[in-house]
Amino acid sequence: MKINEIRNELLGEMYYDIDHPSGLKILIMPKAGYASTYAIFATKYGSIDTMIEMKDGTFREIPEGTAHFLEHKLFESEDLDAFERFAKTGASANAYTSFDRTGYLFSCSDNFKENLEILLDFVQNPYFTQATVEKEQGIIGQEIDMYKDIPDWEVMFNCLRNMYHNLPVRIDIAGTQESIAQITADMLYDCYHNFYNLNNMVLAVAGNTTVEEVLEVADRVLKPVEGKMAQRKIIDEPREVRSDYCEKKLSVATPQFMLGFKEEWDTPKRTAKEEITMEILLDMISGPSTDLYKRLFDADLINGNFGFEYFTGFGYSCVLFAGESNDPKKVSEEVKKEIKRFRENGFDEKVFERTKKKLYGRMIMGMNDVDGLANNMAVSYFAGEDVFTDFETYKTVTVEDIKEMLDKTLDERYSTLSVIMPN
Amino acid sequence: MHFENIAEGVRLCAQSTDKFKTCHINISMAMPLDSNAAARAILPFILQRRCAKYPDYITLNRVLDELYGATVSAGVLKRGESQILSFNLTAIDDRFALGGDTVALECVQLLCDMIFDPLKDGNSFPADIIEQEKRLLIEAIENEMNDKRRYALMRCEELMFRDEAYSINRLGTVEDVKRLTPDDIYYAWEEELREAVVQITMVGSMDVKPVVDMLKERFSAIDRKPATIKTQFITAEPKPDYICEEMPIKQGKLVMGFRTGMRDEDDNSVAMRIATDIFGGGTYSKLFSVVREKMSLCYYCSAALFSSKGIVMVQSGIEDANEEKAKTEIINQLSLVADGEFSDDDFSSSIKSITDSIISNNDTPESICAWYSTQLFRDSLKTPEEYVEEIKTVDRQQVIAAAKTIRLDTVFMLKSNGEVAEDED
Repeated sequence: MKINEIRNELLGEMYYDIDHPSGLKILIMPKAGYASTYAIFATKYGSIDTMIEMKDGTFREIPEGTAHFLEHKLFESEDLDAFERFAKTGASANAYTSFDRTGYLFSCSDNFKENLEILLDFVQNPYFTQATVEKEQGIIGQEIDMYKDIPDWEVMFNCLRNMYHNLPVRIDIAGTQESIAQITADMLYDCYHNFYNLNNMVLAVAGNTTVEEVLEVADRVLKPVEGKMAQRKIIDEPREVRSDYCEKKLSVATPQFMLGFKEEWDTPKRTAKEEITMEILLDMISGPSTDLYKRLFDADLINGNFGFEYFTGFGYSCVLFAGESNDPKKVSEEVKKEIKRFRENGFDEKVFERTKKKLYGRMIMGMNDVDGLANNMAVSYFAGEDVFTDFETYKTVTVEDIKEMLDKTLDERYSTLSVIMPN
Repeated sequence: MHFENIAEGVRLCAQSTDKFKTCHINISMAMPLDSNAAARAILPFILQRRCAKYPDYITLNRVLDELYGATVSAGVLKRGESQILSFNLTAIDDRFALGGDTVALECVQLLCDMIFDPLKDGNSFPADIIEQEKRLLIEAIENEMNDKRRYALMRCEELMFRDEAYSINRLGTVEDVKRLTPDDIYYAWEEELREAVVQITMVGSMDVKPVVDMLKERFSAIDRKPATIKTQFITAEPKPDYICEEMPIKQGKLVMGFRTGMRDEDDNSVAMRIATDIFGGGTYSKLFSVVREKMSLCYYCSAALFSSKGIVMVQSGIEDANEEKAKTEIINQLSLVADGEFSDDDFSSSIKSITDSIISNNDTPESICAWYSTQLFRDSLKTPEEYVEEIKTVDRQQVIAAAKTIRLDTVFMLKSNGEVAEDED
């Protein structure tokens, strides 16, 4: 078994990177002085994976929301379900499904080995029946309805739906009432066998533990399986947005908006450097220390909830600006004007250095919590990086990189504005 | 943990540790929750965006950027019948500063400048700033309806406590904010510094002494007369109230308000916490395992104890048509707890889960600050470990006895009015 140590001297942090014989990647960061431990067992399977690769290499479509549905159902078992088992140890257990992964997790300050055994065991042992699938349709149906009333969620998915014609990132993570009604126990087994294979997964642990403790449980409980990393299908997507404006009415006080800029790249995934370069660029254009921010704020066009995000994953990347405003169209115009100004006038070296200094501090501040650390380890692994990559990469970004990034992105011809109006 | 009195009614708790990569400070200032809520609620937002030294938020934000992206966030909380202005500062630990900078102490200095040395206009605040902050606070109050789960809880509280101070919104009302003048707010600021009960919690590796000196100097200029803050604890009316309101929403929100019979914040609170947890806490609880898992009625259904007011609030998101079914079952599950119809396993699951999460509080600076700042009104502070010891002394019978005193007071249902836009896509 190969055990690598991944270190960062400045941060004074290290973790172990292990290729377990079962095929599973295991990452362990022991943290001195911490009482609790957080573990996440994740698979590279999320809501954007709407196709299963068949043995003959063709792809078959599965209903929207299946990854999330499977996440709920995996807790079930023939005898004691996973929640009942965790109840005996005192751990706090949960799971989540995002666009590109599903994670099962617990945190505990006692009985770590027992909890790890439960986690590895229940995720490796699916048990689905038609009756339990039908029962879950009621629960998830309510979860879907709940999100329909959450304006930030709706404004985002309306934006993505308007931006993308075909990419599955435009569909709701939990699916729809109609799509989940088509899910069957057999379908869940098919998806499970395709995506829940140890070669497609990672276990990341941070906190009050040791390599020996983790491996003692892993060696005993992990069952090697045949299989390979599941392949993601590359889906064609036109350059244009579907529509440049959409509006929906919901029960809100102030209108909410999201302005998205669709991008086109030759490769399906953005590198760490591209992501960091974009973070700095966006902070320099519209962060809380900028002239644009002050202008919008003083003109009563935004409140403290204005912000941006570089939204990227396999096959998609776009820039999203979001906030609350009584005049979303005006905000959208002002943001576009400011982008133009930067294209024409370039960037101030001093502001660039200050923004990098802020980013350096924020990265350090984000490294306190064991849950954040373990999740970052898992996410970085799926991205082909390690947890310190960003920390080293940000140093290499130059003001020229920023200019180049702006040349390639934030093109208003490919933008769309999504608005939620009060009803 | 280091405790020190800074001034009358001002206490510092400092945890010196290099476990974290940050320096974290919370300043919590409590006053009675009353009709002057709006004038106080606007203060933290005015203060966090500017000060005499850095008169606008862009300048101030740039200073924070130079301090390695240090953040200052301000907010208003309600705890029992007190209104707490809360300031949080996070900065990197000095060991990560480049070229020997001392970030942490400079940040504390800046936080003090914001609170004690604001941008003034004579003996008042500048009118244009007040106008802007009033606009923002009004928007914040109006936007509270956007989160339907929180909104339903808030409406239930307004109705259930209509004759008690607890019904007052921590941010005040839109009408109150509209009426505020710069002088009203300035007066509220002076009063806050003079009369608030203050706790400062600090977590990090920095020296405590210079911080103590700095804070003592700031408070020494103030003639301190700390307020007395009391919360009313009352028992439920014999017949519960029922109120239903409609909105254009997809999912109904059910809120059930219970009174526990507690006479003060510490009265039987540990047994009550366990009873509430078995009723509607973790996944082993009655509400999760029956109302969600067995009956498939909802995605969430949970109970929370607010010991600072002696109440238990149950919340669930359901289809409107299932309201009666859900209510009946929630009440039934509470009576099962009160009848002792829970297993020894359920009891020990609850103890273990509460213990585990309390001990985990030691692992983030935010939760350490929250742990101590919520004990603002206590004469002596409990550590998480001391609290866990108290939990271990509670037995089944005490939990059953606690559950028997929980009484339904008010049911609030937020329903759909039938006008929900469907997606075009």
